[in-house]
This record gives sequence, C-alpha cells and structure tokens, in this order.
Amino acid sequence: MTTDNEKQVTAELQNQHIHRTVLDNGIVVLVAENPAADIIAARIFVGAGSYWESQEQAGLAHLLSAVLTKGTQKLSSLEIAERVESVGASLGTDAATDYFLLSLKTVTSDFEEILELAGQILRSPSFPEVEVELERRLALQAIRSQQEQPFTIAFDKLRQAMYQNHPYAMSGLGIEATVATFSRADLQQYHQTYFRPDNVVISIAGRVTPAAAVALVEQVLGDWEAPAVPLPTLKLPALAHQPGRTMTPQQTQQSIVMLGYLAPSVRGAEYTALKLVSTYLGNGLSSRLFVELREKRGLAYEVSAFYPTRQDVAPFVVYMGTAPENTAIALAGLQTEVELLCTSQISEDALQAAKNKLLGQYALGKQTNAQIAQIFGWYEIMGLGITFDTQFQKAVADLAAPELQQAACQYFLEPYVSLVGPESAVNSLVTPVSI
Amino acid sequence: MSQLLTAPVSPATVTKLDNGLTFIHQYLPATPVVVTDVWVRAGASRETEDSYGMAHFLEHMIFKGTDSLPPGVFDYVIENRGGIANAATSHDYAHYFVTTAAPYLEDTLPYLAELLLNAAIPDDEFVRERDVVLEEISSCYDDADWIGFQALSESIYQRHSYGRSVLGSKLKLMNQSPEGMRCFHRAHYQPENMTVVVVGGMTQEPALELVNRTFQQFSTRSNYPELEAVEEPLLAGVRRQEIRLPRLEQARLMMAWTAPGVERVRSAYGLDLLSVLLTEGRCSRLIREFREEQHLVQAISSNFSLQRESSLFTITAWLEPQQLERVEELIRAHLNELQNTLISPGELARCKRFLCNDYAFSTETPTQLAGLYGYYNTIAQVELAMIYPAQIQSFQAEELRSLAQNYLSPHSYAVTVLKPC
Repeated sequence: MTTDNEKQVTAELQNQHIHRTVLDNGIVVLVAENPAADIIAARIFVGAGSYWESQEQAGLAHLLSAVLTKGTQKLSSLEIAERVESVGASLGTDAATDYFLLSLKTVTSDFEEILELAGQILRSPSFPEVEVELERRLALQAIRSQQEQPFTIAFDKLRQAMYQNHPYAMSGLGIEATVATFSRADLQQYHQTYFRPDNVVISIAGRVTPAAAVALVEQVLGDWEAPAVPLPTLKLPALAHQPGRTMTPQQTQQSIVMLGYLAPSVRGAEYTALKLVSTYLGNGLSSRLFVELREKRGLAYEVSAFYPTRQDVAPFVVYMGTAPENTAIALAGLQTEVELLCTSQISEDALQAAKNKLLGQYALGKQTNAQIAQIFGWYEIMGLGITFDTQFQKAVADLAAPELQQAACQYFLEPYVSLVGPESAVNSLVTPVSI
Repeated sequence: MSQLLTAPVSPATVTKLDNGLTFIHQYLPATPVVVTDVWVRAGASRETEDSYGMAHFLEHMIFKGTDSLPPGVFDYVIENRGGIANAATSHDYAHYFVTTAAPYLEDTLPYLAELLLNAAIPDDEFVRERDVVLEEISSCYDDADWIGFQALSESIYQRHSYGRSVLGSKLKLMNQSPEGMRCFHRAHYQPENMTVVVVGGMTQEPALELVNRTFQQFSTRSNYPELEAVEEPLLAGVRRQEIRLPRLEQARLMMAWTAPGVERVRSAYGLDLLSVLLTEGRCSRLIREFREEQHLVQAISSNFSLQRESSLFTITAWLEPQQLERVEELIRAHLNELQNTLISPGELARCKRFLCNDYAFSTETPTQLAGLYGYYNTIAQVELAMIYPAQIQSFQAEELRSLAQNYLSPHSYAVTVLKPC
C-alpha cells in the first residue's frame, strides 16, 4: 500500500536534476547543480579498471592509479601535491572493478584550478621511472598485507573458485607474480589504450551552474582528440559452474564462513529481484540473516550479504564471522536461509519492508555532492545512462514475491563455500554436510 | 519554560528543556532528510571495575526493547520506512542515531525515546546478546591494528579508563548481570546526561515539541557509584613494549603522547594542526620524507583524538621490521625540529587551509552535523564546534612551537611495536 504521504516522501528524495552534455570529442559531462554548500565535487570516470585486465595484467590498473598523479609532462609529483594541498583540495584515484576513477573535491573558488590539473593528469601523465618502482614495491607489500585479514582471505579464495580465469577472480591489487613484472612501458600502453575522450565521463555536483561547468570542461579538455583506432573489445572466458569448498587454516580467533553464488550482471533480467533479495537477507538490523542468526541465536557479531552491481556476472555472497566451534552450524544456518528463498515465497509484508528499506537507503545514499556525482557518473560509464536511477527504483517498486522466488531458484544452486579459521574447525568440513 | 542558551549567530539552537535534557536543532531547508542523534554521558569511563564493558554491552541491549516494545520492533519500524539506525560507544559517551525522510520523524522518534528511556534488558536476551559481544571481541583480536592500538592505550594510560578497551573482557562480561546493567542504565540515562540533536528538513518548533513530548518518562533513578577523578602519573622517559603476532605481514610502529582534554581546547586545535603538518598529504613532513623520498614505510599517519579528560596524539607507521629503529629515531628528530624551528608561513597556511576545508567537507550532511554537535556538547559545549575554523585560522608559528615543546616530547612517549612471530 502506498499512501499519499509516502509518494510525497519519495518524490522529495528523488528531486535531483542532472544535465547531460556530450562534447565534440565524446566526453560526456553530467552536472547536478546544488547550491547548498560552497563545495564542488567531480568524479571523472574512465572505461577501464580491473575488468579490462588480461590475466597477465592483474593489478595493472591499480598500479596505474598509484602512479598517475605522480608526474605530468609539466609537473613533478611534489609539484602536483603542492597544487592540491596548498588549496586544501582533495584529488584521488581509484581503480575499481568496472571503471577507473579520478575524484576531486574543492571549495567552489578553487574548482577551476584543480580541474585544470586533473585534465593534465588524465592526458599527459609522465609515469616517472622512480615513482613506478616505488609504487610497484608498495603494491607488492599491500598484496601481502591483505592476507592479515581473515575476511579478505576468505573472499579471495571464494572469488578464485567462482571466477577461475575471469578478471573478477582477483582482487584489484593483482598478485605478486604479475605485479612484479610491470614496467613503465606497461603503464604507458594501458594509459594510451583506455584514456581517451570518447571513453570518459565527467560528473560534477555542487555550487556551479550546468553552463559554467560544461564551459570549464570544454576549456580544459575540449581539444583532447580521440585516436582513430577503436577501443579494444574484451575477450572473456566463459564461466563454468563448479561449486566446491575451499578451506584455509589460519590461527584466528574467529572462523569466517562465506557462501557465494554466480548471479546476474546489472543487465540481467533478475538483477533487481536479487538486489531486493540481498537487502532482505543482509541489509540492516531487521534483515533476515541478522535476526535469525545474530538476534535469535547469538552466532555472530557480523553477518551480512552483498551483491555488487557489475558489468558482468556478479558474486552474490552471504557470510559471517563466528566462534570456531560454531563453524558447521554457521555454514548450515547461512545455507538454510538462502535456500529458503527458493522453497518458499516471502510474505507480502516482508516484501514491502524490503522495498521500503532498499528504496529509502538508496535515496539516503545521494546526500553529498560526491555521492551524487558518483552515482550518475557510474551509471553513465557503465552504459546504463542516467535514467537508470529512476528505472531501477521503479523496477524495485514493481517486483512481486514470485519473481524473487523464481530468481532465487534460478541462481541459488549449490554454493561455492570458503572457510577460514583454526585448522581443527575448518578441516572437519571438507565434504558437504547434509542439512 | 525553556531557556535559550546560544547567540542567534549560530546556525544551531541549543535549548535546555525543563527536565534538564539538552536539545540542539538546526534546520536545513534544502534537505529532505532528518537525523536524530542522541548522546548520553554514559561511556566506558563511567564503569566501576566489575562492570568494565557494560556501557558498550548496554548499547547492544538498548535495542532489545522495553516492556511495551518487543525486541526487533524498533528496527523494523525504522527500516520499513527506509531509515537507518545505529549506535556507538566510546569512553566519554554512547550515542544512538536514526536517519529517515523528514516526514517520518514523527513516526520513529517515539520508538527511539522509548528504547533509551525504558530499556527492559530482559534476562534471556542479555545472555544471548552477550555471545554477540563476545564475537565482537574475538573479531577485534583478529585485527593486528586493533591489538596494537589497545596495547598502546594501556601503556600510555596506566590508571585512567582511556587505557581500557570499551568492549571489556570475556571474564568481566561473564560476571555481569542484567540487574547490574539495569542499575547502570537507570543511573545514567537521565535527562541531565543526554543531548538530543535534530538536524535536517524539519523546523525548530515541531522538532522541539516532538522531543519534549517523547523524552518525558525517564526511569526511576538508581544509585551507581560516582567515580573519582583519576590522576594519571606523568610520563617520564620512553615506555616501550614489543608484541609478536602470528599472521603479521609487516611491522607496526605506534607512538603516543597525551595532551590536554577539552578544558584546554585551544591546545587541542593546535595539535590538530601539527598532526596535519606531519602526515596529511604527500607534502606533509613524514609522508614526504619516509614514504616518498626515503622509501622507509608502506604508510604513516598521525591522529589527534580530542577526549574529555585527556586527549591522545598518535603516530603509526606500517613498515618492514628492519626499519623500525631508524624510523623511530627519525620521528624523534622531526619532533625535535618542531620544538626548535618555527614552521614556515607556507606550511602553516597549507595546514590551516586543509583543516578549514576539511571542516566544510565534513559538515555537508545532517548526519555529520548532528554528530559534531552531539559530540562537542557531550564532552564540553556545542559552541566549541562552531568556533573551530576561526580558532584554526588564528594560530601563529610560535604558539605551535610551544605546543610541540609542551606535549610532543622526543624523549617521553609510549611506543608499541608489532613484529611477526
């Protein structure tokens, strides 16, 4: 049931207007004018990231993100840092799974200067040899340091089992064997291939008019020309469904129990249904896993589910950290809850509650300028377009309980399982137990 | 009648209600969201020895309902309206916050007030939730940085409660009772210990009326021992400890100094500037030298944490074990320089600019504003939150040098080193 009050609330939370402009060289500029604070945030998306890495390149986009801001044809690493830090701005890079990101945030009066700097960094990074060497060494150390966290170990093993030769198999940091081989030439090659205006989305939110923002981008990047060669097309391996268990004995206080399922990409027919299932199972204090396994049984402090929005087949994961002696119970508990979604339909009340939660929190995720710039730029670079924002919300509102059940039955087949914990606790679970 | 405490220039209004509760409000006409953040002076510092861990455990138990509100109802009410609720506990406070679309505050706030004022702490839920807290403690012991920071805190605060983990220990928790927790709750969750902050798309009058109406029926007060102020012995020389851990992939060097509490807030703001000078950004002294130029560390950061009775300044480096001694020596040399040489005008301007912008960037949402106001009002007065940018702008190099001389000694500090087994 939707009351007038609810409609009003939803309308107010969605009240965002995005201006979309395409420059002659192909750059897409999105602007959300928001005069509330004297701040401008920009997110510059490049169609690159770990998804575009071959197996031999695992970790290359991450290394690129570390070295990109450390020199241009005109400026040294320290000069770049001075320009940013002297005005108290922030300028950061991130190699995400499906895209590459350059983020900036300034007070309004400094925006032009920092955007000009970002333009230089995007177009003509110099990748100084000494910086490549430093960041490569630090990346190798970061790969080793990740192994300190039981959750990271569990998720690494799960991903490898689920994705085999697919780029989603690895953490964005890559692995020691590949990162150790990277050179300056590899970075230059990757940069030349993907950093081109027809592969860039610039999303701006804050105290700036759309006309002024577009003029600024035009001034900084308008003369950047796209090369004549087309962007490379991806050749990805087909995924084989081979569920199994991986056990990683570690001297830890807790066991991490993690179950994964191969689930649809953002374009998949059941994407929205499984987003709602993920909310129902794992989001918040009233979620199914939290109530059944933490509140009623005291098995865990952290128990949750996640289903990231991806270009390609996404992982649907449920997990918890539990006392080693409860490892088997936790595994059975998680699997039972997931399978229940296929064997029985969720109630109308639970369906409506999950929708309200998902849509409400989605709206709350668009509060800061950076969040607004992020979400619309991301939809644009993924090829979904900015209208995906409203389409998604409508699709959630329109879902019916049988659709959730059908999606659950289709995708929640036998799970991939990853266990990390004391040897005695995990090794007894090598073979599946019947539940 | 209610009494208005602040000058009209402030963006937030502070009202003391008749029952002693403090109400802070700010109307943000552009946002459709409203945040309620309730701060209670009932953190771990209020615990007697046998109740270590209770303030945090109580924060969990608050969500287990009251005589008229079964467990889970509150969570459902908030989340079914698309809202978010959560809570956190530290030494100086526990706080509980709810974010919803503005029209839903009317529906949700009565539930939050009911939980906070009339927590039932049912016996069976107490036993079950204790297992959850024990799992929380276990997960912390799988985190090397948490272990290191805890050991460092214990080392620098040998008597003050700031040295103890807010989580308590398994042994202490197993010996606590629901009755003891009810006593702790009824003693501390009283109006004079509470600040209710409402920030967002609701004007002052209806927000005040709502808070006045819902925060009325407090529990009957119980007696809980008042703790005496603890004199922390002065740190003289270096307090060093070394911990070896399995599964460690790199070493940690963690150094700490105590600094004035909130009664000398200007010193605290100055130490914020010094922290930025040392480790904020690639131009900062320690990142530039240790990470960028000499390649001695994976990362290095410093942090100034403002606390009510004694603040904490820390420097942490992630590095290879063979660099530990050299990096510690170089950090001491940098502190020595801070005491002897004035910071250049350019560096000072950069640090000020960073902190003032950071203040603007971290007061963008109602959640951030409500947290800021509630925190300052709980450890001191909310006005301190508003004067921050002007105070930062007014520092001169001489004052920062004297702060370094007084509080960041290269010869007296606590240091905890983590090494792989």
